[in-house]
Amino acid sequence: MAAKSSLLKVILLGDGGVGKSSLMNRYVSDKFDAHLFHTIGVEFLNKELEVDGRRVTLQIWDTAGQERFRSLRTPFYRGSDCCLLTFGVDDSQSFINLGHWRKEFAYYADVKEPDSFPFIILGNKIDVMDRQVTSEEAQRWCYDNGGHPYFETSAKDATNVAEAFEEAARRVLALEDRQAHVMPSDVVDMRRKPRSGSRCCL
Amino acid sequence: MSTTFLNHSAVMAETQHIESSCCSCFFLYDRSKVQEEGDLTRAGICYYYPEHTPLDQQELVCGQLAGVSRCVSEISASPVRLLRLRRSKYAIRMRDDFLWALSCISDLPDVSLCAFLDQLIDLFCFYNGSVRRTYQLHTQEEMAVRWARYLSHLQGGATELHHIFTCLTPTDCTHIDPLLLLKAALILQACQRCPLVLAGCILHRGRMVSTQMSPELTMKVMVHEAETYRLQEQKKQSSRRSSFVSTAHSSTTTTPVFLTPSELHMLRRPLVGNSVSCRSESPERPVKPRLLSRTLSDTPITDPSSSQMLASSPDSSLSDDASFSLCPSLASTPFRASIASQPGEEDATESHDRSMAGEMLLFEGLAPPGGKGENSKQGDDLSAGSEDENLQALRDTRERKGEGAGLEDYIIAKRSIREECVKVCEQSDVVLEPMLLYEHRVRGLVLLLLVEHDFDAHPNAKQEVQHSSLASLNGLEAHLRTIPPATETPTAPYTFAHYDRIQNTLTTNMYGRATGAQERLFVKATALLHSHFSNEDMLQEAIIRSASCALYATRTAAQETFFVQQGAPTRNSGIPHSQDSAFSLPSKARHRLLKHGVKLL
Repeated sequence: MAAKSSLLKVILLGDGGVGKSSLMNRYVSDKFDAHLFHTIGVEFLNKELEVDGRRVTLQIWDTAGQERFRSLRTPFYRGSDCCLLTFGVDDSQSFINLGHWRKEFAYYADVKEPDSFPFIILGNKIDVMDRQVTSEEAQRWCYDNGGHPYFETSAKDATNVAEAFEEAARRVLALEDRQAHVMPSDVVDMRRKPRSGSRCCL
Repeated sequence: MSTTFLNHSAVMAETQHIESSCCSCFFLYDRSKVQEEGDLTRAGICYYYPEHTPLDQQELVCGQLAGVSRCVSEISASPVRLLRLRRSKYAIRMRDDFLWALSCISDLPDVSLCAFLDQLIDLFCFYNGSVRRTYQLHTQEEMAVRWARYLSHLQGGATELHHIFTCLTPTDCTHIDPLLLLKAALILQACQRCPLVLAGCILHRGRMVSTQMSPELTMKVMVHEAETYRLQEQKKQSSRRSSFVSTAHSSTTTTPVFLTPSELHMLRRPLVGNSVSCRSESPERPVKPRLLSRTLSDTPITDPSSSQMLASSPDSSLSDDASFSLCPSLASTPFRASIASQPGEEDATESHDRSMAGEMLLFEGLAPPGGKGENSKQGDDLSAGSEDENLQALRDTRERKGEGAGLEDYIIAKRSIREECVKVCEQSDVVLEPMLLYEHRVRGLVLLLLVEHDFDAHPNAKQEVQHSSLASLNGLEAHLRTIPPATETPTAPYTFAHYDRIQNTLTTNMYGRATGAQERLFVKATALLHSHFSNEDMLQEAIIRSASCALYATRTAAQETFFVQQGAPTRNSGIPHSQDSAFSLPSKARHRLLKHGVKLL
């Protein structure tokens, strides 16, 4: 375990304008810019952090939400350890689209068993006054779709942002631990992909 | 003084081999060191290439060329640009007491040879500042290393075609999603939110992806990129460990550079206009600059000392146009204030920017590569007549482009042409402004920014620039990495070279050096016609041929295109007739080059 690479790739997906770039910037640089331009294709930043006494480097990939950037972003889904599905609580359509994002990710990242892949749902922009998606609705969706953790965040006010990313790191590490227990560590790499996260082994 | 005797058939028939390292002789001679009868010529030789040349021979060449140059320039009362000997010719540049001379192995056109020398001198001044001062501060040996470096850089990797046009090779845009070019342009704009950043360019694997600078400046900053890349590779090899462990590990450096007042003037003009000029050919036009720009109020520069750099007006609602530093930092307030005094007229400012951009386009189109354009373009003649020709060309350009009637453009361009002429005539060492070149490398991707000289001292500037660009640079690098390097396309039944005069770039399907007889003919004919185009403003189309091949060339104010159809039946008996294959060349060129992104009207 000690020699294991601690670079964890997490990817932010969701409709355009829900605040994916702002979440990444808030977490990595602790800055917020209300006038960011659309992300084109993908961007990423690294952040070192310590989770439960283990040092990891989180590589956070921010993606373009607009449909026209689809072909640019999808090649970069592969190899993700965790997927943060983001919607804006002030935009019900972005909430409805969560299912599409999940499907798109599972398809292009070539995830064999999407049900056990660590998704985390983020409801961003809770600083905005007129909400269109209630907390209960979001939680119900998470429960119905595989019991994913749900965070309500605000990149603008720095609410819950660090917590969400740390949870992502924790989930990935926990999953890796479980897999490491199941199989001898020197063959993990060879067989990990096809058996990724198979819950029956537990 | 240049005297050109062109013998077309001789040029076409000659199949002399052309080397890539084309410089055969280059020297810098300081006349002020050789004043008295007893002074040795060698005392005046600052640098001589090839360096192993016996000193006696160096003295012979330097002494004679310096003498002839001085004599001719005094008789003709105009600076010497070219000395043609029986077997060789030398591009000459005289400035203050310095004299530079360059000759090439290959038979480069006069314009190209002069441009090459100008480029070399400009490069030296860009990285070292004034020649006189540099030689006072450093030893000749130290400077010899630098001359050699610039000389080898200008020759390295460049083909004969590149030497002919003295130009850059852009990234092959046909393989890149235009959105990525937009992304690159946006990264550059984001960096400009920091008021200390003047302009930037992005390179990938040593090729230009996007630039906000003039082609001449872009060429200069690329030398630094190549140098740091070489050093990095050396370090990597010596330490024998991969630097690719973590993609986040990117490195930044700054290095001092020196800009001429006219370069600085261009850069400190409204930068929105500046970037529009490089957008002219790029696909990002649909994006409104207004949307991309971010107001200064967002930049969290909290240090009170920075307020001076941010200009006195904290009026951030004024938009970015005003927030960019428009004029020399020493006297930045007056100009800025004049713009700041009309906060309600944003649209007016914008249209002004646009007209400025238009003007820049025109002016760049006018100026041939190599900086001090007019001079090399017209040989030595810098009479009033040549200026009028320039203006005429400018007028033509504008008419052709169908730009709106901007009298203002015309006047400003006219003024800058006059300034340029005056500068060239004086031939004096211009005062150079110290600036910094900021470099941020992410693997094969490099961001280069020209920044004010106090950038390094500013507490937040660097961090600010890094913060606004790092994620996007990482992303752009990831995107570009997946695109395989341009592979040589299967041999086409034609050869072409398309020279973009505005961006100073060359697109061609002839890779590497000309090896075959056909290719050498192509290069020769191209050189010849490029030379003609440079000398004759009215010439627009030409077909030149020998017994075995015919080359079609066409040009506008914005481009020059050269085209040869290979394996075409040669049916030219010397008497023109309608069956002649040469007459179908224009339509063939139009048709064939479309898929290379070249549109001939």
